[in-house]
Formats: sequence, C-alpha cells, structure tokens
Amino acid sequence: MAKTDKLISTLKEIVGEASIIRDPDKLRAYALDGKQPKVAIFPGKIEEASKVIAYANQQHLAIIPMGSGSKMGIGGIPEKMDIVLSTRRFNRITDCDSDNLTLSVESGITLNEVQKHLAKEGSGYFLPLDPPYTDKATLGGIVATNSSGPRRLLYGTARDMITGIKAVFPNGDIVVSGGKTVKNVSGYDMCKLLIGSFGTLGILYEMTFKLLPLPEKEATLLIPFVNRDEVNGFVHEVIHSEFIPASIETLNVVAVKKIKYPVSMPANGNYLIAIGLEGISEGIERQVSGLSNMGKRHGALEAVTLSSEKHHAFWIAIRDFPQDLREDYPNLISLRSNFLISKWGEILRNYEKIAQGSGSDYAFICHSGNGILYSYILPEKNLRSKIGSLIETIEKLKSEAVKNEGNLVVESSPLSIKKKVDVWGQSRSDSQIMHRLKEQIDPAAILNPGRFVGGI
Amino acid sequence: MEQEKMVEELAQIVGKENVLSSETDLMLYGYDASLFRGKPDCIVLPGSTEEVSKIVKFAHANMIHVVGRGSGTNLSGGTVPTKGGIVLHFSRMNKTLEIDIENQRAVVEPGVFTLLLKNQLARYGYVYQPDPASEKVSTFGGNFGENSGGPHCLKYGVTTNHILGAEIVLYDGEVIQIGGKALDNPGYDLTGILVGSEGTLGIATKLILRIMPKPEAVKTMLAIYNSLEDAGKTVSAIIADGIVPATLEMLDRLTIKAVEESIHAGFPLDAEAVLLIELDGLNDGMERLAERIMEICKKNNAREVKAAKSEAERAQLWAGRKGAFGAVARLRPNYLVCDGTVPRTKLPEVLSKVVEVGKKYKLAIANVFHAGDGNLHPLILFDERNEEELRKVHLAGSEILKLCADAGGTISGEHGIGTEKMKEMFFVFTPRDIAAMRKVKKAFDPEDVYNPGKVLPETEEPLSA
Repeated sequence: MAKTDKLISTLKEIVGEASIIRDPDKLRAYALDGKQPKVAIFPGKIEEASKVIAYANQQHLAIIPMGSGSKMGIGGIPEKMDIVLSTRRFNRITDCDSDNLTLSVESGITLNEVQKHLAKEGSGYFLPLDPPYTDKATLGGIVATNSSGPRRLLYGTARDMITGIKAVFPNGDIVVSGGKTVKNVSGYDMCKLLIGSFGTLGILYEMTFKLLPLPEKEATLLIPFVNRDEVNGFVHEVIHSEFIPASIETLNVVAVKKIKYPVSMPANGNYLIAIGLEGISEGIERQVSGLSNMGKRHGALEAVTLSSEKHHAFWIAIRDFPQDLREDYPNLISLRSNFLISKWGEILRNYEKIAQGSGSDYAFICHSGNGILYSYILPEKNLRSKIGSLIETIEKLKSEAVKNEGNLVVESSPLSIKKKVDVWGQSRSDSQIMHRLKEQIDPAAILNPGRFVGGI
Repeated sequence: MEQEKMVEELAQIVGKENVLSSETDLMLYGYDASLFRGKPDCIVLPGSTEEVSKIVKFAHANMIHVVGRGSGTNLSGGTVPTKGGIVLHFSRMNKTLEIDIENQRAVVEPGVFTLLLKNQLARYGYVYQPDPASEKVSTFGGNFGENSGGPHCLKYGVTTNHILGAEIVLYDGEVIQIGGKALDNPGYDLTGILVGSEGTLGIATKLILRIMPKPEAVKTMLAIYNSLEDAGKTVSAIIADGIVPATLEMLDRLTIKAVEESIHAGFPLDAEAVLLIELDGLNDGMERLAERIMEICKKNNAREVKAAKSEAERAQLWAGRKGAFGAVARLRPNYLVCDGTVPRTKLPEVLSKVVEVGKKYKLAIANVFHAGDGNLHPLILFDERNEEELRKVHLAGSEILKLCADAGGTISGEHGIGTEKMKEMFFVFTPRDIAAMRKVKKAFDPEDVYNPGKVLPETEEPLSA
C-alpha cells in the first residue's frame, strides 16, 4: 500500500530502520482491543519523537504511546491506531540530585529501576509511589495513567510529587512545564494537565519528581475482623486519630485467599485490615502497639506484625494483586470506584450484596482512608452468556458510587464488555471543557483517539 | 458600554447597593499589594453563584472584562484591572459552607479568610495545612488563583495539593463542578490547571478543601547565626541528613531589625541571620530529631539554638516571621518583593549574588524566605515617590529573577506572574512553552473575558501549526 510505504519510509528517515517494527506478525504484540498498528517505533531521542509526532499531525495518523504496556487495557477502544510510539529507549536518569531531593528521569525507565538506584544514593532515598506492576511499569505510564498504590494515603499521588515535565505536544512542539523547584507558579500548571491525561494531550518525555529520604523503620500490622461494622469503626477511629499510617487496606476473604502472600486468617475472619507504617522508629513502635490495642477495642481477632522482608513482600503482593489475579483469570474484570471517605463501609456492604446476587466471586481491596475501592470480578468459564448480567452489575456498582459523590472506572475487562459500557463511568458537567482542551491542544485528534473520558 | 448603563444593568442582578462606581471606589479597587495601578469601570459584589453567573454572562455578551478580587493582597498585579472592566469582589461570598470532618473536607465560598477557617477547624482538632503569610486577610478565592504557598509547603505541599474540587463559572457564565470531595474523579485534572491560573481561566464560587487531624506535637526552634551563608548551609545540611521539617524559614539582619522594632518576637538584633525551624508529627522521637537538628545547626556555626518552651513563645516567633513584610515598612515606605525560587543547595550562592545586586543599585535589601524550599523573598526597599529609585528597583528585581532562573530555579514560587513578571517569563520559558499555555487559555476563555493582560506574555515568533 502506497500510503503505508510512504509512512514507513518517512519513519525510517527519522528513527532509523533498526527502530521500526513493521512486520505484521511481530506487530500482533502491539495490538489493542482487536486493532493492530501499521508500525511500532522506538525513538531514541526526543527530537525523533517530535518529528514523528509532527508528521503524524500533518497526516492525521493516530499515535498510541506505550511504555511497557502494562496498563494499555485501561480506557476505551481506540478509534484509530496507526503508530505505536514506544518510550522504551527513553530510559535514563537525567539528574539525580538527592541533596535537593529531586530526581529527573526519562519516561521509559521503570519505577523499579529508579527505586533501586535511589536506595543506593547517599543515605538512601525513594520515590513515594507504589503502583501496580512493580517490576514492569515505566514512570511515563504511571504518570500518564495517574497510577498509585496504598501509600497514597500518606504521600499522595503523582500530582503531589512532580515538579516538572517535558513533553512532546501533538503538533510536535517540545514543551516544558515547571522545573526543579518545589514551589513554582510561573505560568499555568501544565504538569497537572498532563498527569493522568492518558497520553491524549502529549507524550511524556522527562519528568522531575520530589524525593524523600528512606524512612528509618517500616512495619505492617495485619488485623483480622469478623464483622464489617467493627472494621468500619476501627478505621474510622484510626483516620481521625493522631496516628499517621502510610496505608490502610481492607481485604475481603476472596482477596485474602488470592493474594500472593501467605496471610494466615483465622477461620471466622471475614475481613483483613493491613496497615502499613513507616517513619521514625519510636513513632512506628508506638503505632504498632497503639493500633493493635485500638483494633482489640473494636473486636479484632489476633493481629500479626510484619517487618523487613515479610513487610516488603506483603506490600508487593498487594500492589501486584491485579496482575497476579489476571494470570489466573484472563477474563478478569477490575473496577475502581471512588467516593466519600466515610462511606466505604456502607459501599462495601452494598457491593457485597450485589456480588452475592451475581453468582461470581468478588475480591475487594479498599484504600479505606481514601475512599477508593477496587473490585475484582472473577468470571466463570462461560463468559458469553453472562455478559448481559455482568453489564447490569457494573451499572449497579457504578450508581452506588455515584450516589456517594464518586464514580466507577472499568480498568480492565474482556473486549465484549468494553464494547458495551462506558469504561470511564458517569459523565459530569466538566466534560465539555475537557473536550475544548483536547480540541485546542490536539485539533487533529492524533493522540490515543477515543480512549479517554467522554470519548476524547 | 457606558459606565452608567453598565451600573444600571448590574444593579438589576445584585442590587444597587452592591455596585460601586464612585471615583474613590474606582481608585480603591484599582490596586493590590504590588506597585501596579489600574482603573476598573465598576466594582460588583455578588452574593451567590447565580449572581456571579449572570454578571459574567452580561460581561461576556457586552465584551466587558472581568477581574476577580478577594482581599487584594496579591503581590504581582494579578488583581489590578489594568484593562478596565468589572472587578468582581467576593467580600459578600464569605461563608464557610461546610466543615465535613467525617470526609475530611471543608467547603467554602471564595471570600472566606484563610485564617478564619483554620480557627473554625481548630475547634475540631483539625487543620488546613497551607499557611500563606497573608492568611489573616487573604481569601480562599485568592489562594486558589495564586496557588499560594507559605512556610508549611516544604512538608505539606502548596494550595494545589489541598484543593480537591471547585464550582467554577466559565467565561460565558456557565457553571461547572470540577473535582469533588471524592478523590480520583476520571478525566483531566481541571482543578490542577485552574489553581494558580490567576483568574484568567475561570472564577471559583465554591472551593472543596482537604483537611486533616492536627499533628500531635510540634517543636519550634530558633537558630542564630553570624553569617547568612552559614544559615543557608544549615538548611541543606538538615535535608541531607534525612530530616524533612515542617518548615525552615530564614530572616536576615535588616528584616530582624524591622521585626523587633514592631513585633518584638525575640530575634537578636546583632545576628546576621536567624533560622526558624519547626518539626511536627507524633511526639515519639521528636526530641531526638530536634537534637539532631540542633547539632547540625551548631556544626554550621550557629552561635545559639533555642527551642520554644510554650505555645505562647512559639506564637511569638511566628508572629515575627509572618509580620516581616509589614514590619519593613518602618525602614522605607515601599518594598518590591521578589519571589524567585532556586534549588535549595544553590541558596548560599544566590544569596550572595542578591547582596551584590543591592550594592550595584545602591538599594537596601531585606531578606526573608522559605529556605526549606528555596523560595527567596528579597525585599528591595525604596520610596516610590522617588522616580529614580523606582526605576532602579524594577531593574534590580528583574536581575534577581534572572539570577534565580540561571541557578536552575524559577521566577515565581508563590506570588504569581500577574502583570509584574510577564516579561521575565522568557527567563524560564520558550515561545513554544507559552504557546502551549495559550491553548489552555483559548480552551477556557476564548474571548479573553477573564483578567486580560496577565500571566502570558505576547510572543512574536511564529508559532508552529
């Protein structure tokens, strides 16, 4: 095909033949939601990415950015898919300035590699991010999807850590926002717009993060409960107290069974609260005993404390829960609900009722201090016959969240379901202004078309 | 439109008593805490979101500009109506709508004074963390517009990390809800792009804030130095030791003199610099951390380090810091405060360069700053009635900002670009960066209704398609 040939030859000129995949067999690995790109490219310099994007903009070719691909399934089905642009070769640490508590990296580097590097710097530092796909996820992908984990309770998410971004905009412009300083109000905060924009406004190239010194001590408390009201009461007291846990996660029995860490739960236990603690040694010791006692007062069963390797292994298992689960259940449906913090117990109760009615097993893991609940539907073998009822269930779960000032996002699901639901949940009054932003920044709609909120 | 007609139409929306247009009023609302002056066509005081929407709709339909205003403590001219238009003044929309402890949120109208809410929260044992020095009188609408900072930013972040949602009136009067009490609502981070947009993209009529339980314990220390450089080095040393205090503030000799004369905070008059350091969190281990800090100070030649022994002592130390800007009025009638920010480790070198700039232009400079996050506030002292001094002051200010940009920092840490620093935007941005921001402006306010002539400088270079 003449058009594709022209495309390939232009791309060859920009990135070099070695950095292109055009073989349809090999391109299958880059397919998404039943669509396959014409070519996948691996630029080595930002100028190459800039030229490719400028060309695509002129030619109205759709670009799908990709890090390690761990979260490619999130979002709507792409309207078009011409070029997959991989950030894999943008994998350097460009400035590690631990004295200033800042780190600048290219978007294709994995968080894992960054953490390993930081731990060895000086007296030891870290990026307080703990999203899923511990081994694979690139910082570009993490930031583009605003991916986070349990420790967001204490440390926040990407928007609380990023001070600067360099990105390639849809017209090919290389644009800088923010910088190295913690305080910066020069111009508009474009970083905030790019974070969580799912590659629809620009392709992240380099990001500057705030760092923290590694905590003196870390520990985990695993506290089982029989009764949901007791759990609710306990969590309520914790979050309004002077204690400063790094994370508070509630798991139901199914989640406890499926998590890739040997948690011993008493036979009559129905919920497990996992509290992560990190900070000054004296503070950790105090909180371990204080929270254990508090748990007992609320009817908890025997608590277990984890430290060192067991502590780390446990939290990796929690972080990687979605990917571990999908290995066993390829048709896994994972949902993220957000809502008012205080309603989590009530929502969990209603979700459990809906789950019981549906006939499938549900694993629930809740960021109980933040008002965010992950529901994992483990579908049975014969999916096709269940699609109608699954969609109905998702609608019920969504309206429960919306009732509590939140929403529900379908983070992963089989294509048959994706085709029939709006994965981004209920649309709101700010949808139109989002479209206007997209129209101004990406008028030719070349970046990830159709995959974001409102069909952006 | 003629002023008389405008006033008449607006009076229909808010009532006659809530539209101001006398010469005195036009002058009073034509300035803020910067050195710029403007003149509005009139001032309107809305009482509700509905009124704001109607006013903006009217303004849009008649091609009249709109400039939002809280208490006008803005330091870069963001609140000055440099191109005329309607000043939308929020003093009547000053209710705390909700303190929702259960969900750890507060909802306020834009005219609420920051400190007022904090005092209300104290009754519940809760806090709103950002603490701009102007908090006694600055409003949440203003904080939202400027992305205000304050000493607690080092540990807790700035305003944008504590505003989770808002009700916004767009350029044509449309009212939308962005963000919310719940976290992670899907879509672009509209709250994030609007905070710090200096009233040029949208006007907030309701703000949803993040609040949290008060830390159990706080420890405030004062370290006294015979050299500014040693104080600067201490700041880096504390961070390098793995301690992130809640605040790390610095004042120099000239500032101390002014502060002691008016506030008597207990700062020694013969010190070259003082460091105000505060730790907060659980009680356990705080004593040990504080000792570590004091050791670091002494290692860096602090001649004395003392800890506040009571809440009253602590309050006195903070009064000294927070009253610093006001206090320097004793020295000269006017000041130009620079807001450059640099990476922390560059502080000592940049500080000595700032001293050089003062010598070059023969201007006295008092230094106050958020040393922990590298945000300087050199206060260039002068008398604005002296035209020659005024001219030199602007040159000196610009030179200081260039220093900061060249040191890998930025030109504004918390006071905003407004009209004051528009030309300096090119110290840190290329025309392409500005073009990208202009697209955001076009999306939100295609007809330039809101606060025209602020933040984004004109770019002459041809922009790519």
